[in-house]
Amino acid sequence: MRVGIADDVVLIREGVAQLLTNAGFDVTVKAADADELLRLVALRRPDAVIVDIKMPPTHTDEGLVAADAIRASHPEIGVLVLSQYLATDYALRLLERHPEGVGYLLKERVSDVAVLADALRRVAEGESVLDPTIVSRLMKRREHTPLAELTERELEVLALMAEGHSNQGICSNLFLSPKTVEAHVGHIFSKLGLRETPDHHRRVTAVLTYLRATHDDAR
Amino acid sequence: MAPIGGLAPVGRRYARLGLGVLALAAGVATLAIARHDAEESFGGRSVGDGILELAAGWSLVLAGLVWWARHPRRGFGPLLTAAGLAWFLPEWSSPAVGSSLVFTVGLVGIGLCAPLVASAALAYPRSGARSSLERAALAVAFGGAALLGPLSATVFDPVAQACFQCPANLVLLHGDGDMFDAAVRWGLRIELAAAVTLMALIAWRVASAAAPRVVTAPVLLPAAAYLALVALELHHSMPGNGLATNPFDVRMWRYEAVTLVTLAGGVAWGVYSSLRARASVARLVVELAQSYASGGARDVLARELGDPGLRLAFRRPASDNYVDSDGRVVDVAPGPGRAVTPLVQAGRPVAALVHDPARLRDADRVDEVVTGARLALENERFHAEIRAQLEELRAARVRIVAAGDLERRRLERDLHDGAQQRLVAVALALGMLRALSTDASPRLKRRLDRVDAELHATIAELRDVATGIFPAMLTDAGLAAAIEMLADGSAGTIDIRRMPRDRLDPALEAAAYFVVAETLRRTHATRAAIEVSRIDGDLVVDLDTDAGTDESLADLEDRVGALDGRLTVQRDADGLHLHAELPCG
Repeated sequence: MRVGIADDVVLIREGVAQLLTNAGFDVTVKAADADELLRLVALRRPDAVIVDIKMPPTHTDEGLVAADAIRASHPEIGVLVLSQYLATDYALRLLERHPEGVGYLLKERVSDVAVLADALRRVAEGESVLDPTIVSRLMKRREHTPLAELTERELEVLALMAEGHSNQGICSNLFLSPKTVEAHVGHIFSKLGLRETPDHHRRVTAVLTYLRATHDDAR
Repeated sequence: MAPIGGLAPVGRRYARLGLGVLALAAGVATLAIARHDAEESFGGRSVGDGILELAAGWSLVLAGLVWWARHPRRGFGPLLTAAGLAWFLPEWSSPAVGSSLVFTVGLVGIGLCAPLVASAALAYPRSGARSSLERAALAVAFGGAALLGPLSATVFDPVAQACFQCPANLVLLHGDGDMFDAAVRWGLRIELAAAVTLMALIAWRVASAAAPRVVTAPVLLPAAAYLALVALELHHSMPGNGLATNPFDVRMWRYEAVTLVTLAGGVAWGVYSSLRARASVARLVVELAQSYASGGARDVLARELGDPGLRLAFRRPASDNYVDSDGRVVDVAPGPGRAVTPLVQAGRPVAALVHDPARLRDADRVDEVVTGARLALENERFHAEIRAQLEELRAARVRIVAAGDLERRRLERDLHDGAQQRLVAVALALGMLRALSTDASPRLKRRLDRVDAELHATIAELRDVATGIFPAMLTDAGLAAAIEMLADGSAGTIDIRRMPRDRLDPALEAAAYFVVAETLRRTHATRAAIEVSRIDGDLVVDLDTDAGTDESLADLEDRVGALDGRLTVQRDADGLHLHAELPCG
C-alpha cells in the first residue's frame, strides 16, 4: 500500500516514514508543507496520506485545508489528519464535511504502528476514523440527551461505531458475537430515533451528526 | 486711553456723578438757548426737535456713564460721555445767547461731537486694537475740529462779521475775516475727509468681524451712520463756508440725533446682555454646586460664549498636559481653525478654552463668564484630574491584561510546537524500538510498554497544561468551540445552556473564556451551568457552580474591568454565581 506523509518536523516525518516502511508500507510521498504535499499527491497518487494539522506558513490549520483539497480533487485517496489538540470541534467539522475516507487522530498515535496502519487502511478504503479520546469526550455529553437511556454496553458499542468501526470490528473489540452486536446496534438506533443504513460510514456520520446536534440543541 | 484713570475709584465715582449733573444742566441750558432763538437753532424749532436734542445728548451721556462705571479702565465710557456733552455745543454759539462764556464755549466746541463719537466707536468694546490708520484718521478729525473750533475762534470777531447782537468772543486774539474764512474752509474739508474715512473704518470693523458682530454692530453701525450724516452736512456746508441752520442742515441734524439715540441703545443692549450672561453664569455656579455633572461646565460655557464646538481643557500640574472633563488628553496647540484662550489663576494657567478663532473675540465675555464660573471650573478641573488618572489606570490595566494574554499564547505555542513535538518524536522512536524488539525478553517488552504508557500520559498532561495556559481553539475557532473543549475536558459535568456562535473581538473572547475557565478551575465544581448571550450590545456571561472557592477572583475583575465591563460574584451555600457584562463596542 502506497502512503504519503506531510509534517514540517523532519524528525517526525522521517520517523513515521521509517516506521511505516518497516511495517510494509510503501512511503511514496514525504512533504514538509501543504503545497509540496498537494503537488506530490497529484504526481504519485498514494492510497492514503497522513497530514499534520499545523504546518507552515501560519501553523494553524493548513492540514485541514490540504485535507479538503485532496478529498475534492482525489476522492479515492484517504486522508488521516493528525492534531496536537483534543479539539472535538475540529474533528466533528472535518467528519461532517467528509463522511468518507477521512480520519482525525491525536498526534502521538504515530508511535503505535498498529493503530496507524489500521487507520491508514480504513481511510484508504473510504471508512471514517475518529480518535478514541475524542469519542470518549463526546460520550461525556450524554447528560440531558437521549444517550442517557443507553446501557453501558450500548454506549461501548456506540463509541466504537463513532470511532469508525464496522460491526465486525466491534465484535473483535468487545469479544461479542455478530448477532449480539447487531442487536445492540439495532437498540441504539431505535433509542436514538435513527434509521439504520447499510453503509458503514454513513452510520458513523449519522452518529456523529446526532451527537453534535443533541449537543447544540442543549444550549 | 484712560482720561481720569489716575483718580481713585471713589474720585472716579464723584467725577461721573458731577458729569451727570453737568449733562443735565447742559441739556436744560441748551434747550433754553435754542428756544430763545428758535430760527437760528436746531432743537428750538418744535417740541419734537427739543425732545430729539435732549434725547441724543442725554442718552449718550447716560450710556457713557453706565459703561464707564462697569469698565472704569476703558476709554469708551469717558469718550461717549464727552460726545454727549459735545452734542449740545453747536447750539451755544447762538448770537442771542447773551453770555460771552457760553457763546465762546459754543464757538470752540462746534465741530467736536463727530470726532468724539468716532473715537468712542473705535474704542468699543476695548481700545487696545486700534490700527495706525484708525489713529491717524482720528488725529485728522480732531485737527479739523480744531480748525473749525478753537483756531477759527481766535480770529473771529463777531462785530467785524456784522453780528452786532453777538456776545463778546473771549478767545479772540486778532480779528481777521480772511483768516477766519480760510480756517473754516479747511476745517470743513479736513473734517469731511476724516468723517468719510472714519465711517469707512468703523463699517470695516463690523464687516471684518474683528470682534463678535452681535456685540459691535449695535454700537458701530449707528456710529458709522452718524458719521455719514455728518459728512453729508459738512459737504452741504462747504459752498456757504460755515455751519448753518438751513432746512437741509436741520434735516441732517434730526437724523443724526436719531442715530446717536440708537447708538446709546446699542450700548445699553451690550450692558444688558452681559448682565444677563452674568446672571446665567451665577445660575450655572449654583446648579453645578448642587448637582455635579461631568462636562456640564463645558456645555454652559459653549452656550454662553456662542461657540458650540468649544472645548474646555484642564491643565494637569503633574504632566503639564491638558485633559477634558472625561480625562482624555486635549491638544491645546493653536492651529488652523482653532484658537486657544488660556484661563489664568494666580499667574498660573489652570485651564484653556479651545475654540473657533472667528468666535470668542469678545475677551470681556470670556473674562466675565469664566470669572463667574470659577468655582464650577475648579470643581470640574478636580474631577478631570481624577478621571485622567482613572483613564491612565484603565489603560494600564488593558495593557497588563493584553501583555499577559500575549505571554500565555507564546507559552502555549512553545509548549505545543516545542516540548510536545519533541515528546511525540521520542514516542515515535520508542515505537520503532518496540517494533524492532519483537525478539526481546517479555520483561523488557513489559518495561517498554510501561515507558510508552508513561510517555503518552505525559504528552496528554502537557496538552492539558498548554490548553489551560491558553487554548489555541479560542484563537482558531472562537469562544463557543473553546468553552466546549473546556467542558469536554472537565472532570465535572458542565452544562452549556447558551453560547453565541459568531466570532467576537479577541480580547472579549479571551475575557469571557478565562472568567469561565479560571472560575471552574478554582472552584473544582462537579456541576456547573454556563450561559453566554448577547444582550443589548453586551456579552453577558452567567456561570453557576456547585462549589465555592477561597481564592481571590481579582484577576478576573481586572480582565472584565479592562474592557469596561462589570463582574459580580455571589457566594452562597449552593456554590458560586458569577455574572459578567462585557460591552461589545
